[in-house]
Amino acid sequence: MTAVALADIAFDLILCALLLSAALAALSRQPLFGAVIFFIVYGVFAAIAWLRLGATDVALAEAAIGAGLTGVLLLGAMARLDAAAHTEPGFGLAEALTAIAAVGVTLGLGWAFLALPEPGGLQQAVAANLAQSGSENPVTAVLLNFRAWDTLLESIVLLAALIGVWALADDAAWGGRPGLRHHTRPGGVLASFGRVLPPMGLLVGVYLVWAGASQPGGAFQGGTVLAAVWLLVAMAGVVRAPHVSATWLRAALVAGPVVFLAVGLAGVAAGAFLTLPPDHAKALIVTIEVTLTLSIAITLAALVLGPPENAEQAP
Amino acid sequence: MSGWLTAWLTFAAAIALLALAGALWRVWHGPAPADRMMAAQLVGTGGVAVVLLLAAANDWGMVDVALVLALLAAFAAVAFVKAESSGGRGDPEEESADD
Repeated sequence: MTAVALADIAFDLILCALLLSAALAALSRQPLFGAVIFFIVYGVFAAIAWLRLGATDVALAEAAIGAGLTGVLLLGAMARLDAAAHTEPGFGLAEALTAIAAVGVTLGLGWAFLALPEPGGLQQAVAANLAQSGSENPVTAVLLNFRAWDTLLESIVLLAALIGVWALADDAAWGGRPGLRHHTRPGGVLASFGRVLPPMGLLVGVYLVWAGASQPGGAFQGGTVLAAVWLLVAMAGVVRAPHVSATWLRAALVAGPVVFLAVGLAGVAAGAFLTLPPDHAKALIVTIEVTLTLSIAITLAALVLGPPENAEQAP
Repeated sequence: MSGWLTAWLTFAAAIALLALAGALWRVWHGPAPADRMMAAQLVGTGGVAVVLLLAAANDWGMVDVALVLALLAAFAAVAFVKAESSGGRGDPEEESADD
């Protein structure tokens, strides 16, 4: 056995052990705060695991969502939980059924993985047509060209999720802002953090979208980083969350899916719905990616900010 | 790159990963919420180190993952600090300044 193989095995064994312990602890730790922290830690390990599997695009998304945004979401949700509503953990019929369903899905995924035709599914078909796709990154080529239909529906699913969250608002609060104004000690650590980090975050977010054309990155990863930046600026009290009825907010939310749909409909002229003509594919993909990034960033941030809560009306 | 260098870098990444087991111990035992949160931050920082070593061993394209981790791992700490302040919207520094 070579030294490389030995080091690889050692690394993978340690990673698997850490991943499983963090996952088990996230499921079993009481009180809930410990479970949330373990979930954040699990996100970091999962991102490293995706890297080991050679899926750098997924690792980027996991690092941004799992280790970044979900932590903010879960900690915010926990701060709102009523301490009195705490229920003692038990293992009843509902938990047993959930466990059986989860094990069933895992076994099904394992079977599907083993049943995949060798070698590598559609990899060769993608590689053969990459030159006409308008992107040098095979993942972007699949997401925005070969399987653009899936990505279009995913962007609409995000929008539907936000509508679901907003539907939880009280009638009286409708049209208002999510949450009250955050405040920090001027010149304090939190205030400085909220002013120093956003410029770097903006740069990284824009870079990820641009890099997505030729290497791992793209609208979803860049959009998540931009959403996190906006949340940070809001939490530092620099800006307030917008009124949910603001026209610019609504326009930004739908811009991505609308441009995507428009390009798809224009494709009908070139042959079929969502067909990108190879001559213009690169420009079209960049157009879709940029508007989609904007919409994804604002949708994700609005999802974390939650439904409007105060009755203050739009000006 | 020579096989020995790749093996050495992967081995170093494995050791950095192993060090994070200590952070997991701290997340489990606490005792204070801040201890758990700081241990999670350590996992974020250690994760950056692991990703950088893996990138050096395999493919420098992986470096972007370290960039995103370095940027976003700190966000959970901001949310934690917010949750510690009264009402979840303030800044514990404001409150301690009043003492």
